[in-house]
Amino acid sequence: MMNTDKIQALFGSQLVAVNIGPRLFGEALEKQHVEVVQVDWRPVAGGDKQMQELLAALGI
Amino acid sequence: MDIKQAIEQANQKAAEILTKGRPVWVDVQPAGEAIPGMTPDTILIAGPPIAAEDIPLPVKNAICGALLYEQRAKTAEEAWQLVTSGQVRVEAAQDHDAACGAAMATSASMPVCVVEDKTYGGRGFCGVHPGNKQNVLRWGFYNDEVQDDLVWFRDHYGPALGETVRRMGGIDLIQVMGKTAGMGDENHNRQPAASMYMALQMIQAMMDMDFPHRDEIVKQFAANDRFFLHVMMAGAESVLASAKKVPHSTVMVAMGGNGVRFGIRLAGTGKRWFTVDAPLIEGLFLKPTYTKNDLLGFLGDSCVTEVYGLGGMSASAGPGYVVLTGSTFADSLQRAADARKVCVAEHRFAPIPWDGGQGFPVGVDARKVVGLNILPTSHGGGTLKAGGQGTMGSAKLPMDCFKQGLVAINEIMTSEAND
Amino acid sequence: MELYTVLQKDTYIDSLASLFTMSVLMDCEGIESAYAGMATASGRQTLEELGLADETVRGAGENDFVVAVRAASREAFEAAMAKAQKGGPAPAAQKPAFGTVQDAVRANPRANICSIAVPGEYACEVTKQALELGLHCIVFSSNVPLWQEREMKELAREKGLLCMGPDCGVANINGAAFVLSSINNRGPFGICGASGCGIQHVAAFLHEAGSGVSQTIGTGGNDLKEPVGGISMLMGIDALENDPDTQYLVLISRKPADSVLQALAGRIRLCKKPVVACFMGADRAVVEASGALWAGDLDGCAQQALSLIGKRIDFDSEEALDALARSAIEGMAPQQKYVRGIYCGGTYCDEVMQTMQEAIGGIHSNCPLLPGLRLADSRASVGNTVIDSGEEEFTRGRPHPTLEPSMRLPLIEKEAQDPQTAVILLDFILTPPEHIDPAGVTLRVLTKAMEDARARGGKLAVVCSVLGTDADLQNVTLQRQKLRDAGVYVCRSNRQAGQLAARIIQLKKERDEA
Repeated sequence: MMNTDKIQALFGSQLVAVNIGPRLFGEALEKQHVEVVQVDWRPVAGGDKQMQELLAALGI
Repeated sequence: MDIKQAIEQANQKAAEILTKGRPVWVDVQPAGEAIPGMTPDTILIAGPPIAAEDIPLPVKNAICGALLYEQRAKTAEEAWQLVTSGQVRVEAAQDHDAACGAAMATSASMPVCVVEDKTYGGRGFCGVHPGNKQNVLRWGFYNDEVQDDLVWFRDHYGPALGETVRRMGGIDLIQVMGKTAGMGDENHNRQPAASMYMALQMIQAMMDMDFPHRDEIVKQFAANDRFFLHVMMAGAESVLASAKKVPHSTVMVAMGGNGVRFGIRLAGTGKRWFTVDAPLIEGLFLKPTYTKNDLLGFLGDSCVTEVYGLGGMSASAGPGYVVLTGSTFADSLQRAADARKVCVAEHRFAPIPWDGGQGFPVGVDARKVVGLNILPTSHGGGTLKAGGQGTMGSAKLPMDCFKQGLVAINEIMTSEAND
Repeated sequence: MELYTVLQKDTYIDSLASLFTMSVLMDCEGIESAYAGMATASGRQTLEELGLADETVRGAGENDFVVAVRAASREAFEAAMAKAQKGGPAPAAQKPAFGTVQDAVRANPRANICSIAVPGEYACEVTKQALELGLHCIVFSSNVPLWQEREMKELAREKGLLCMGPDCGVANINGAAFVLSSINNRGPFGICGASGCGIQHVAAFLHEAGSGVSQTIGTGGNDLKEPVGGISMLMGIDALENDPDTQYLVLISRKPADSVLQALAGRIRLCKKPVVACFMGADRAVVEASGALWAGDLDGCAQQALSLIGKRIDFDSEEALDALARSAIEGMAPQQKYVRGIYCGGTYCDEVMQTMQEAIGGIHSNCPLLPGLRLADSRASVGNTVIDSGEEEFTRGRPHPTLEPSMRLPLIEKEAQDPQTAVILLDFILTPPEHIDPAGVTLRVLTKAMEDARARGGKLAVVCSVLGTDADLQNVTLQRQKLRDAGVYVCRSNRQAGQLAARIIQLKKERDEA
């Protein structure tokens, strides 16, 4: 059995949700009065595979 | 330490320099005396280095004009001969911590503003702004009137300004921009507030001094609402001089166009320029008869102000310019918001009241530009192929420069890791 | 037909919003084909393949939004565009967004949970970034390789964070319904499941009985497969066992891998709280030996859970269903013989075919229970057929039917026009994001279909179930009532809808043969 302290902490906290991707899912949470932080996700380097590999090494 | 950490630390260092650097205008001196590596045989122009045969007409005119002014030749043909023979070397101003506006060619006897970064000790240089007329070297023209102006600048106007700022103990450019925060300057294509605020201080000092042609000089100085631009370009260079020395950093430290190629330099890749075909500066044509076909590619170093976080990077500070050139207030906010996403730091000295009190984003991280696929914007004036200003507007910084930069930094980091 | 394109420079529209736009365009009069989306390399390639690329499209950049439409006339194109633009908010009016999860968390240090819906190939990387920032994750993305799923979940375990998914559409944390979950009352039941639909089904019955859930933890459909090893479910059990608000555990999954079932059974044996286990198709003896209460299907699972608090669900008896079926066949024409199901939920599609095949034999489908029953053409039904309209052949260029129920309408219309159709069988699944009135949208077609059948001298039976709660924004009670008022048979559960549909077919056959 593992330590579930962080999960218990979540269960005991007010949610602040980061929504990565379609806004519809974040808006649905807002309708339920959850605080939502939106991330308009796009593929790294516009999908350029060579740059994705480079950035995996160099960080971003 | 792994590569990511090394870059992260280096970028933090660069961020610190960019935000803590304190550019102070300390003097006006002849370029040949002030600029390191500058000789009587050196001409500085804008943008990345360029082969003589590729230099576009307005810049060629300015170079020949500068050599005629220096009495190195009797005719433009003779002057150009000095360049093609290699006797005179044409170099990228930014490789000397200097900047050239548009088609400008800077030669040894021309007076340049000297700005010193009081925190890190770097010095930056830029010719004294010639005023709002088109008939100047800066826009690729040379004739008798230009010659007379150059002599006037060298013998009277430049030295008088130098004497003034020396007497004043220097002018703190951060303080100027702090005082004029919220007055609508974006500090690249619009700086009337900064120019006027600076003039308020300087004219008082000038009136207490006694030098030849004082009234004429004061009048000419007070009439130039763009004066601050060239001082600020030197100011940006003074801080960037130190940022250029941070190894491993992916932060952009130079950018400009020579009319043919547009390029950037990163702190961690030394003097290498990463270039692409120069984009056009589009927006408002200054005459309705002009078309895209009349325009040269991006020309000039005034975008070193963007490298320092001004102009298009903090476009929301000057929405008037953005609207004037055919975009909207929302666009100005968007440009600044995009810049914030790809920058490593923020200038806090001039919060933008109508942009949530946010400051100017500064320090473009090439990794973020490529990774987030977000292009910052530079403001600027477009040059006509025949010389003169054709547009005022903006250009997106080309993605490929940043991609090349990342490939280069990766080579450096991996080869160091293997040593 | 002419090609019309629109380019919005430097405008970001997310993939789901693009699908909604595209879907509206395709449904407009005089529109042959349409595409809407960001002009990424793959987007531009799709446009080329669809024959919708012109110079504008080819010149578009990664940051530009393009719409390309092949339309009968400029008027048709402009009318369609006007319709499409009515839906979404202007980009300028949108709330500000961050570009990366790092920036989002830096600006919002109180962030504690993260909902992730990005293309599968990027899900692992994005999830790991969120976990590194200390966020618990709900990952809706699907098509993530199992080795990556394991990598994400191992990282989550190492950090003591929940990793729900990939392929997790349902999670209800602290009362908030994520992604496609229903909104549920809070109560003593902690649910952890590898089937989103299954979790929601059981939670809805608990809600209806006046009880509720403490937390529902989705694990994603692949969690109990050998390569993943049930990492999320085992963590979920630990978390729910330690959660003071959880008194009972309910575990739900399709058949787990043998080794994973062993591990789960071992863990359940140690659990200090009562456990209901619904591992469909698993070895009952192994499950019961662990001390868990056995449930063979979703209805049974809800029933077992409620038995722990002394309540029960009154499902319709066989007699009651029989009576309904008898009334349903009255007035049907002799050639009306078959049931035609058009489903949104994959799990429900399986469940209803399983339920019906016992009574009326194998059901044809685009995702059949047995390979021999696969339809040659997903749009050409054979005998008794149930199709999953959430499958790729139907959702290409469209949002999922749960979010956009109107995409099911042409399929329903087509089945209703088939004189051999006796029963139209449907599921409705309510979710917070959309659609706000799935019953209303669908009734427009159903009412007409029933009238047409009567005009032909027959009678069409429409049978359905609605999954949701009265706390859902759509309110399940109102949705059911709306359908009932229109003459639709609304059953207690999807399984019961299958039972009724099958009974109708059986009785009809008996009558025809008599």
